[in-house]
Amino acid sequence: MSLISYLVISTILFICGLIVIISRKNIVAMLLGIELILNASALNFVAYGKYVSAHIDSHIMSLFIIVVAAAEAAVGLAIVIRFFQIRESIHIDNAAQLQS
Amino acid sequence: MNDTIVSYISSLANIEFSPLFVFLIFLVAILIIVNVMALIGGLGTYAERKISADIQMRQGPNRVGPYGLLQFLADGVKMIMKEDIIPTESNKLLYTIAPVLCLSGILATFTVLPFSSGFILSDLNIGIFYLLGVSSLVGVGIFLGGYSSNSKWSMLGGMRGASQIISYEVPVTLSILAIVLIAGGLSFKTLVSGQTGFPNGWYIFHNPFTFIAFFVYFISALAEANRAPFDLPEAESELVSGYHTEYSGMRFAFFALAEYMEVFVLCGVASALFLGGYKVPFDLGGDTIIGQFLQIGSFFTKTLLLYYVVIWVRWTLPRLRVDQLMTVCWKYLTPIALFNLIGTAVWIWAFDGKSILSLILSIGASGSAGGH
Amino acid sequence: MFDQVLFYISAFLTVFGAILVVLERNLMHSCIFLLTSLMGVAGLYLTLGAEFVAATQLVVYVGGVVILMLFAVMLTGGGLEEIKKNIVSVDLAPSMGNLITYFWGALSAVVFLLVGGKILTSIYSSAVIADSPKLFIKTVEEIGTKLLTDHVLMFEMSSVLLLGALIGAAVISRPSKVNIFQKGEDDVSH
Repeated sequence: MSLISYLVISTILFICGLIVIISRKNIVAMLLGIELILNASALNFVAYGKYVSAHIDSHIMSLFIIVVAAAEAAVGLAIVIRFFQIRESIHIDNAAQLQS
Repeated sequence: MNDTIVSYISSLANIEFSPLFVFLIFLVAILIIVNVMALIGGLGTYAERKISADIQMRQGPNRVGPYGLLQFLADGVKMIMKEDIIPTESNKLLYTIAPVLCLSGILATFTVLPFSSGFILSDLNIGIFYLLGVSSLVGVGIFLGGYSSNSKWSMLGGMRGASQIISYEVPVTLSILAIVLIAGGLSFKTLVSGQTGFPNGWYIFHNPFTFIAFFVYFISALAEANRAPFDLPEAESELVSGYHTEYSGMRFAFFALAEYMEVFVLCGVASALFLGGYKVPFDLGGDTIIGQFLQIGSFFTKTLLLYYVVIWVRWTLPRLRVDQLMTVCWKYLTPIALFNLIGTAVWIWAFDGKSILSLILSIGASGSAGGH
Repeated sequence: MFDQVLFYISAFLTVFGAILVVLERNLMHSCIFLLTSLMGVAGLYLTLGAEFVAATQLVVYVGGVVILMLFAVMLTGGGLEEIKKNIVSVDLAPSMGNLITYFWGALSAVVFLLVGGKILTSIYSSAVIADSPKLFIKTVEEIGTKLLTDHVLMFEMSSVLLLGALIGAAVISRPSKVNIFQKGEDDVSH
């Protein structure tokens, strides 16, 4: 339960999120990976806040990370739904060009 | 850190408990609470049938026990003995998980319900916030139940149910925030101990904004529990039972039990926040065991009265259409709840947090003192 | 003792959920494993004494983001992927990746190890590690005070951000007005 264990957990979360973003072809699945990455960083902040600096500012930073992640998930999913309405598919390779 | 039932017992008996003993005491307390709540869930089905029968001028169940009291046990035995049908095309993992999510969301809220000043399982610092968070698991469970059954009725019911629950969380949270402003904390002990035993000290009569907030909370809680005039996702005449169409036997019993227990939890929160919770008039008994039992009795009385009102409303009012549902939430209840929040904040700033009755009494006192 | 038990359970849920998000092919199942992982992270916040952040995590992620993802998966076709087999007749799973993936993965691993090594050495050599950190008795009060005194600008700007996200999401996902007499012209390019 030392600092290292929390860092290892957040590293595993980050790596899993990164693998999901790199290897999945579905846009919504990539948003899942982004959520994992944001969680890993928020966990890091709070872990450092307890073991190194003992300030409450780390909790506030995590709160704002959660807020930004929620806003970004909402807008990202709205874009995905609009994309689906236009292209009828959510394969990432169909989003490779600026104009069709 | 926070008061738990273990710290209460150890302060009563003046002994320190070892971790194993702490675990055992928690285990016993949890067993008691879960069993009592399951009993209330079962008796809730019985009460609903009896009260609806009373409203409709018929008898209701009266065969199985004295006055039909054991009807819910007979229903339970029937559910357990039914064949467990899983549709072939369904998503097996999600189909299995959905009722479990619903029930575990509600069971986790029993941690913070204030039955009495000593018998709270754990008086978390963030009590009411935790309760709101964990009861969102019910929405996920309903959506998964609707989606995984691979049937159009269930899918529609699941989507409507989930969107209804997440929409009505907004007025619920805003109404609760108005009370949190007055009480000054999120933990249930803080919220209840600011009130007194008599109605003049209850938060519902604190200022006109919290009076409106109580009704906004009550209506939104009815919608959160998929109850009463808002039960479109599970309505029999509309969607052939909605999101629990494809569930049979004990899985369906999980959904039904979760719904009745959720109504109890929401009524419990309403009575703790607005109606004085476990406070007894004159603070009879104080801190003794007798006082604790009186407080438990007071909490249950208020909650069961509200439960009766919930059942009464279900059999009196017609059902709302789904667009009327969303209109009521977003166009009426949310602006009113925001207005309540701002009004409560202005009241606290202007009148230093005193209730309206104490203001009237102080005006009367100063008037009579400075009169002649 | 309870702290340790909670830590192990939450860590297990977090890591287990994250690994299954990667390996699971069905998108709905991935969302549910993400839910598991996020609840595990909330438990980890509790072991760190961050109660308010844990409750916020529960309310925002479990009650908001995951339901949103589930709705989006359902509204965009259900996440069905075609199963292709590779040269050796093994089912191609999305997480197997291809050559480009492995190249970038190796590059990221090298960068990551360098950065991680640097951080670890700095921790072990110079930082002050508090071994019995003070418990915040009233986390909520302290967070509330800090939010309105030291960080009030970020607080207000996050409310503007959320307003922008709300309006933006509602406007973006509104379907374009389809004229039923000109169905063929419904735009693909804009």
